[in-house]
Amino acid sequence: MHEKIQRINDTEWEIPKGFVENMRVSGRFFLSDLLAEGIEDGALTQLANVACLPGIIRHSYGMPDIHWGYGFPIGGVAAFDETEGIISPGGVGFDINCGVRMITTPLTEADLTDKQGLIEELFEAVPTGVGAKSPIRLSQSDLTLMLEEGARHAVELGYGCAADVGRCEENGAMEGADVSAVSKKARQRGVPQMGTLGSGNHFLELQTAEEILDEETAKTFGVREGQLCVMIHCGSRGLGHQVCTDHLKVLEEAVKKYGIELPDRQLACAPLDSPEGQAYFGGMAASANYAWANRQVITHIVREIFVRRFEIDYEEMPLIYDVAHNVAKWEGHDVDGVRKRVCVHRKGATRAFGPGRAEVPHEFRAAGQPVIIPGSMGTSSYLLAGTDGAMSQTFGSTCHGAGRVKSRSSAKKSLTGDAVAAELLKEGIYVRAPNPAAIAEEAPDVYKPSSEVVRTVSDAGISKIAVRLRPLGVIKG
Amino acid sequence: MPFEELEHTADVKMRISAPDFLSLLAESGDAMSSVLFGDFAKEPETLTLDIEAEGADTAELVVNFLSELLFLTEVEYLVPMSYSLTKTENGISGTVSGIEFDRAKHAGGICVKGISYSGLSVSETEAGFELTIIFDI
Repeated sequence: MHEKIQRINDTEWEIPKGFVENMRVSGRFFLSDLLAEGIEDGALTQLANVACLPGIIRHSYGMPDIHWGYGFPIGGVAAFDETEGIISPGGVGFDINCGVRMITTPLTEADLTDKQGLIEELFEAVPTGVGAKSPIRLSQSDLTLMLEEGARHAVELGYGCAADVGRCEENGAMEGADVSAVSKKARQRGVPQMGTLGSGNHFLELQTAEEILDEETAKTFGVREGQLCVMIHCGSRGLGHQVCTDHLKVLEEAVKKYGIELPDRQLACAPLDSPEGQAYFGGMAASANYAWANRQVITHIVREIFVRRFEIDYEEMPLIYDVAHNVAKWEGHDVDGVRKRVCVHRKGATRAFGPGRAEVPHEFRAAGQPVIIPGSMGTSSYLLAGTDGAMSQTFGSTCHGAGRVKSRSSAKKSLTGDAVAAELLKEGIYVRAPNPAAIAEEAPDVYKPSSEVVRTVSDAGISKIAVRLRPLGVIKG
Repeated sequence: MPFEELEHTADVKMRISAPDFLSLLAESGDAMSSVLFGDFAKEPETLTLDIEAEGADTAELVVNFLSELLFLTEVEYLVPMSYSLTKTENGISGTVSGIEFDRAKHAGGICVKGISYSGLSVSETEAGFELTIIFDI
């Protein structure tokens, strides 16, 4: 660990002001001893750079899956004051509302008599990877409505059931979406990609709820031991990427216009109340809504396959929850004893609101918000609950996944996709991807152990572990 | 080799070199295609599309050119094979030629989310130009 970093307790560390010039607040991050061994200096510098941004409140935060990213580190969280603060695409990422959702089924592993057949059918039905084409014909008017209404409009078009909407963060549609801030180019990329998975770390995974770690919370969320579940991880596809690209150009200019001094060009931003900042917010919110609609369409495809193969009812596959990993949002938080409206940026981080918050579905409100943490292909995923500790320590935020430790190029050099797939198959995990390299680059050992990451957020008190899920089959994009 | 992959934890970092700036853009296009489509055989072009990009400096021009090319690969399903580019007052214009994406031939890569200034540098060398770039994937 860098000599200037101070340890606060077993899991929390501080980057003091002065680590880089012009820090307005200190940085705080959460790492166990094991995770601390692998921390990148570049990620810490990025965390410190975020602390230089105007209007930042309390601290710049890093979650245990922190690693080097664009602008903010991945795993970065920062809240900004309504009048003094800024909004930055570097604090959201290219893949706006990259997120994850979890669906349960009435089935168990014993029902999977043809797992390979099921995975192959899902792989054919859910377009993945480069060149994937939407399984639906999306009109321009329906695209507009998806940008405005998110998952709700997908459900109205028949892709889901009404209950799904309430099980999404923000009810599947952020307020403030501005269709005029989504360029024609972004729309052109969005139409043929609705209902597609993408690639990289995106996946669709079949899992079994192997271990119930908090009986009461798991019961509240509707998950029981041995239950077969489906996890879907993807985002706003080319539409969101284009919105990010378009607005970055505008915000580069805004930095000069408003005289904002930045430690890093990647943190291009604008005041929250400026026309440029508001335009980015509107475009980002519309992209986030597209992402919720995208995951909703994929969910529908998955359910239809399960209904046909296993002769179960569509409604027997409820959505447990859907969380965003890359987003900036207006939220109410207590700051120095006063409830304030702040803009929370989460870049590779998950909202983890504690019990009692009105934003949490009423049926889960006593337990706290469900938090879904995907593992890597061979390692466990987890279902957690948000806590009061997250509300007081991290603006209601926690980790988002395992976090990479190994580069894609070194993964490809040391591993072949076929060998990784064969190893996983020995463990009962059937992997399907468009090409072997996609498997090698996402091999389990290129990630931090997901168990250590969730243990750290649990020890830090910012989430509570409820269920551990073991992978059975994976589609990689 | 006009381009090579460097170590990067989460994304794909490349170093690209060329004798002149227009060739550098073409080579950077080929580098991005190798990320998107893996190793694929070049074939006679059947699709030619216009491409234009501007930039206040070479870095901005590279970002805008590759962003435009990425757009064409996604919306027109273009797998680029060759470029015909000329300099304009503030950037470049010309055409990019290739063939339409075919899953049987071009599914060896990974989606590129965007082109950013992260880790981007363009420099003039004795041999011409050198570009270091990170493709966000």
